[in-house]
Amino acid sequence: MKNTKSIFIVPAVAIILIASSFVEQSKITVKGSDTMVILAQKWAELYMKQNPATSVQITGGGSGVGITALINGTTDIANSSRPMKQTEIEKLKARYNTLGVQIPCAKDGITIFLNEANKVQELTLKQLSDIYQGKIKNWKEIGGNDAEIRMYGRENSSGTYTYFHDEVVKADYATSVQSLPGTAAVVNAVKKDVNGIGYGGAAYAVGIKHARVKKDANSPAVLPTAETIRKGEYPITRYLYMYMRTRPTGETKKYIDWILSQEGQMVVTDVGYFPYK
Amino acid sequence: MCNLPVILIPDFCTMKNQVKPDYTEMKRLLGLTIFTIFSVCGYSQNQAVDSLKEVFDRLEGKINALDERVLVNEADLGKLNKIKVSGYVQAQWENYGKDLVKTNDPANNFYIRRARVKFMYEPLDGIKFVIQPDFSTGSLSLKDAYAVVNIPKLKNFTLWAGQFNRPDYEVEYSSNQREVLERSRIIRAIYPGEREIGVKLEYIGSKIPLKFQLMAMNGNFTGTQAKDYDSKKDLMGRLVYSIKLPDAGLGIDLGANGYFGGNRIKYNTFVSNLEGKLDSTSFTAGDYLDKNWAGGEIQIFADILGGMAFKGEYVAGVNSASSSTNQDSKAKLADMRRDPIKLRNFSGYYIYLIKNIGPKNQFVAKYDYYDPNTKLSGDAAKNELFYKTFTLAWQYYLNDNIRLSFNYELPKNETNSTNTKDLKDNTLGVRIQAKF
Repeated sequence: MKNTKSIFIVPAVAIILIASSFVEQSKITVKGSDTMVILAQKWAELYMKQNPATSVQITGGGSGVGITALINGTTDIANSSRPMKQTEIEKLKARYNTLGVQIPCAKDGITIFLNEANKVQELTLKQLSDIYQGKIKNWKEIGGNDAEIRMYGRENSSGTYTYFHDEVVKADYATSVQSLPGTAAVVNAVKKDVNGIGYGGAAYAVGIKHARVKKDANSPAVLPTAETIRKGEYPITRYLYMYMRTRPTGETKKYIDWILSQEGQMVVTDVGYFPYK
Repeated sequence: MCNLPVILIPDFCTMKNQVKPDYTEMKRLLGLTIFTIFSVCGYSQNQAVDSLKEVFDRLEGKINALDERVLVNEADLGKLNKIKVSGYVQAQWENYGKDLVKTNDPANNFYIRRARVKFMYEPLDGIKFVIQPDFSTGSLSLKDAYAVVNIPKLKNFTLWAGQFNRPDYEVEYSSNQREVLERSRIIRAIYPGEREIGVKLEYIGSKIPLKFQLMAMNGNFTGTQAKDYDSKKDLMGRLVYSIKLPDAGLGIDLGANGYFGGNRIKYNTFVSNLEGKLDSTSFTAGDYLDKNWAGGEIQIFADILGGMAFKGEYVAGVNSASSSTNQDSKAKLADMRRDPIKLRNFSGYYIYLIKNIGPKNQFVAKYDYYDPNTKLSGDAAKNELFYKTFTLAWQYYLNDNIRLSFNYELPKNETNSTNTKDLKDNTLGVRIQAKF
């Protein structure tokens, strides 16, 4: 060993720094999916009522924003309406040497919003893909009026955007899709636009109609209802997730356990989603 | 609201005992009064509606104008959102062992190790342009300049073109994430400058946890120059399979990589062969000398009281280079007249053990080995000595942007009659990294 004196500098400074990193926390920060923001707020409200010493802070921004915050260390839990991407897992590995912890906490169906005046009642997954790729441009091509289809969707930081892209569109979105900040905005746009079509979480769908969705031309058309989503009959059913950097401990673990308990899952049903199992 | 005009109404009570009222006249008067009231009120109402309409029109005009401005601003912001700028600065202090310090030179130094800004433009989903210069003190160099395109119809496949990292784990692992200050000796030797110019096909599976990379490149990048000296392009491939065991909090990445290339003898037919003997008869100008190697890699990530990782890579093969360097093939190799070209068998590996302690601290122990010429040892190896380097490091993440690194490197070299002892070349490094 050479320069033996200087080698002690590293552990000495390390010991000082390490001591500062173990701080007990009673504040839990949750960031991410806009689809899940109402659900997360209800969970937090109820939990804080029962556990006044704990503060749970909820913010939206989209699944991508939440996962980025998890990687950056600015949130304890990331809510996401899509599974983490491989590139995001790589970033977690690089910074924390873990793959992250995925906890499915609710089930949701991505519903297709149509204006109530729209003649079209049902769509196949292929037709949806073609619409959002810009291949089907007019409602008359799929049994509707002779009118241009106006597509509304989410911003690319949204988990719903990614999930719909990966599971339904399976190709690049058409450039004519109007990106809107939140499912509520998509619902609102379709409500006002007779020729509009949108997609989003079931819990937001008020004042518009849902399209029946068929896996393919020969499959039955299924409406997104509690029953069809719970049973997995509705073709665009997904899990909603909570992500953490490492396995939860302390107050965060208590909060997660409560969310997965019967009481927490009742909130899921109240908000309009479906229990995770 | 309309203001009614004052109208005189006859007082029938007081009139009763005076004159007999004329009812026809009264009816006429009443009719006239009602007509007047409604006419005046209606006129007034029309006036109000007109003025309200004017206000509405004016406001609508203003809102439309604002709307247009918002749309223009949104379009401009949308364009700006497609440009992402990131970067980092690494300011460093190093203290060198005495054999690294020449007479009258300082034993320690402050310097800027890296100062990089990365610009990424994403005009559409699936198309990216990246450019990244490095502004180290006294020099400006281009690190990355490439375009990435999602291949239509081939989901998860991307095509890269330009100058970018060679497909190898430690090469691609960014220096702003790496847990020790420098890459392993073997990686620095066989992939100088980390980058290359060429094209790459990459597949990252979404359902299958597989990553595949195939790159065709010039094969002569050194950091200061990148041109090819022959027509044959070098090929490099890498395949990684990821295994996830979420219940155990475990992830294992297993991979293999290979480099298949060569160096063309341009003028100099004097070649130092694998045994270190000068051979002027077996090779002629125009022949290609081997530059082939293969490697295996493993990365294990475990969630045990916070994150922990074990990473390793082994590479072995044949390299061709000028005799004056025991490292990579220099680009001028094919042009060397005086130096005999050397063919060497080489091997090396690295092992990292990283433990996260809380969200802010990280302890690192690393061992790496590099033998630039495995067939020769002792005096026959001359300056092509093997090195075993042990590194201890500590990272402290002040926040997401600032990281403090303490790094102590203890290299141990092979000895022979020229280098009779292990050199005093330990290096202590302290780095502050700020990234955005």
